[in-house]
Formats: sequence, structure tokens, C-alpha cells
Amino acid sequence: MEISRKRFKNTVIITVMALLLGVVIGIVVAMIRSTFDKTGKDMKRRGGFGYYLFYLVDMLCKVYLTVIRGTPVVVQLLIAYFIIFASSNNGIMVAAIAFGINSGAYVAEILRGGIMSIDNGQFEASRSLGFNYVQTMIYVVIPQVFKTVLPTLLNEFIALIKETSIAGYVGIMDLTKGGDIIRGRTFSAFLPLFAVALIYLIIVVFLTHVVGKVERRLRKSER
Amino acid sequence: MRDNVIIKTDGLCKYYGEEIHALHEVSAEIKRGEVVVIIGPSGSGKSTFLRSLNLLESATKGKVYFEGVDITDPKIDINVHRQKMGMVFQNFNLFPHLTVLKNIILAPVKLRKMTKQEAEAEAMKLLEMVGLADRRDAYPAQLSGGQKQRIAIVRALCMKPDVMLFDEPTSALDPEMVGEVLDVMKKLATEGMTMAVVTHEMGFAREVADRVIFMDSGMIVEEGTPDEIFSNPKNDRTKAFLSKVL
Repeated sequence: MEISRKRFKNTVIITVMALLLGVVIGIVVAMIRSTFDKTGKDMKRRGGFGYYLFYLVDMLCKVYLTVIRGTPVVVQLLIAYFIIFASSNNGIMVAAIAFGINSGAYVAEILRGGIMSIDNGQFEASRSLGFNYVQTMIYVVIPQVFKTVLPTLLNEFIALIKETSIAGYVGIMDLTKGGDIIRGRTFSAFLPLFAVALIYLIIVVFLTHVVGKVERRLRKSER
Repeated sequence: MRDNVIIKTDGLCKYYGEEIHALHEVSAEIKRGEVVVIIGPSGSGKSTFLRSLNLLESATKGKVYFEGVDITDPKIDINVHRQKMGMVFQNFNLFPHLTVLKNIILAPVKLRKMTKQEAEAEAMKLLEMVGLADRRDAYPAQLSGGQKQRIAIVRALCMKPDVMLFDEPTSALDPEMVGEVLDVMKKLATEGMTMAVVTHEMGFAREVADRVIFMDSGMIVEEGTPDEIFSNPKNDRTKAFLSKVL
């Protein structure tokens, strides 16, 4: 029992850290990409060194998105564990970073889609009042984006929770791996595996419920 | 002279590629306290011209001076100057995630460093003026078009601008709501607000404008008092346009 609790804890730790990392990466990349899409042309016209630096950063973001979304997460985890962080013996940390970097790419594209879907009139109204680009993002755009992308983001987080079950691949004792080990020791597959599935299910249903509540509160302005 | 002229454009051009001239060599002045109404057929560049006054549209060539400062200079901070130029859009562009009151006080509190109480007091005074004080806690989605536009006007006014730019403020409204918005604009005009208005409301132009500018194909074709333009137009294009809309 003690051991399973620890394994459950590992799954939670990996998920939460990956989620935080993913959101941070996602916000930064989405900001860079959408800002470049919206203002890049203007900057190019005005010329100067800033544009080329911006272009380069945007290019890096695009490469990141392509590579992460173009390769399986298991392969990314293996590369992180056996190559990039080969000298680290903190498997949980490595898994959290690997899943975070992976999730960041998806979050970035979700957020960018949300930002691009906001009517240009919102940007114009905010700029005409005297807000600069960053203030416009913070006060006007992000709150609206958050509301529209919340269901999609939730899906990404749910996918992430379940994805962490492959951490056992590199020998990390997470929930799934724990269940599998119990199966091996007791020679009974039914109970441990269904218990594991049930635990994932409970977490996901609980989260869906919480986000549903938040969504309803945010939607107040549409009534 | 500089004190009297609030906005001045000098040879303003806006080209899309080589062929399309949205604006061509537009030079105009708006004096303090003046109501200038810009009319013309669609695609004549009147909205582009208005939007280039606060640099929402960046001109290909030419200068815009606001209160004596060249705001087309890339080195100036345009955001500071935009605070003094209120703008009202065809599609209202209220912030849907904020209540009416928060829509109005957002910019004054964040940019003008007003306290929340000051800004709210000012906002309520203005809401009273447009007759919408009771809707302070409503969200934009709960308002009619005419109400939204009156709130949008209040939002711009709360920054205490030196000039108000109106970009077809009644074009997206149902006919029965046009009047309530025009009434607010008339009230502003009589209070001495400097206004530049792009509109298709010829009645408003005739009644309220100090000066009417007629634009076609990106150029100012004719300008003068409402009487000169509407009763005695000199240019053939002005005549042709007015005969269609009046």
C-alpha cells in the first residue's frame, strides 16, 4: 500500500511539473509566434536589426513545434533519459522535463490559435486607447483567449496525465508501472490493472468537473 | 497657428503594392473645436485616412502632425499620443469579457493613473450623459447595438481626449438606433469637442459639421462648409455622389 501511494505520487508529480513547464513554454512560444505573425510585416518594413533577431527566434519556435509534434513522445522520453540527461539519476525530473517540453508544443499551438481567433477590432480598440502591444495582450486578449481555449487545453492536460503512463518505459515507478509490478508479483492481472485504470479515470473525471465549473463562471459575460 | 491646428496631415499616401492607391497625397487640417465630416463612396479611402490619423493604419509616405508633433516619426512613442485621440469604430469593439464600467475605466486606470474611484466617478458622469448609467454592470453581449456604441463613445471620452475620431459609427446599427448615437455625437459637438467623423449620415454632416471633406479614389476632391458642399458642389464627382445619396 505504501509503495502504491508513492507511485501514485510520482505520477502526480510528473504530471503537475510537466503541466507547469508546458504552460510556461506554451505561453512564451505562442506569444512569439503570434506577435511575429501580427507585427512581423510591419517590423520588416521599418527594417533594422530587431526584425532579423525576431525572425530567427520565430524560426527556432517553428523548428521546436515541428520536431516535437512530429516525433512520438516515447522516443522523446527515451532520448531525454538515455542521451540528453544520461548523467542524471533523477528519473522523475527527467520525465517531467521531457513531458513538459512535449506538452509545451501542443499548448503553444492551442494558445496561438486562440490569440489569432480574437477579432482584430479588439487589438485596434485597445491600441487606440493607448495600450501598447504587451498591455493589449495582458488586459484584453489573454483573458478572452483563456476562455475560448479552456476546453481544448483541458483535453491536452488530460492527454498529458495519461501520457505520463509511459514513464515506466525508462524504469520510473509511476502509477502504471506500479500496477504492472503488482501484476507480476501476484500473478493476477485483473485487479491491479483495473485499479490503475480506475485511478486515472477518477482523476480525469474530477478535473473535467472542476474545469466545467470554471468555464461556467467565465461564460457569465455571454448571458 | 500651431495652437489652433490639432491634426495636420502632409502628403499622406498609402499604397498596397504598386497599383492600389488607398490614399494619395492627402493634406488636411483639423482645427481645435472643429467638427470635420468626411464623406465619399465606399473604397474612397476615407476610413483609411481617419485610421491613419492615429496610426492604426501606417502611411506609406507623408506625415501626420498631432498637436505639433510628427507622430509618423518612428522614434516617438505613439501610445502616449493615442491616449489623447479617442476612437470609435463601426463594430464598437467593446471588450466582451468586461462589464460596461470596467470597459470604460480600464484605460484611464492603467494609463492615466487615475484611481479606481476617480475613474468610476468620471465614467458614471459620462454614462449619465449618454443615458446608460443603469447599465454599468451589464456585459456588452447584453446590450443593443446603439447602447454598445454609446458605451464605446464613453470609453473613448473617459481618457479625456483632445480629439475624437469616428469611423462610420452608425453603419453597423439598425436604423432605429442610429438616432441615439447621433444625438450623443451632436451633444459632444455642441460641447466643443474636436471631431473627425467618417459617415454616410448626410443629415448629420449637414447639421453638425463645420467643414465637410469629400474624398474619392484616395484623394480629397472637395472641401468646404456643409452649405458649399451640399447645396453648391463644384466638382462633378461630388455632384454625382451627392445625387445618389441625397
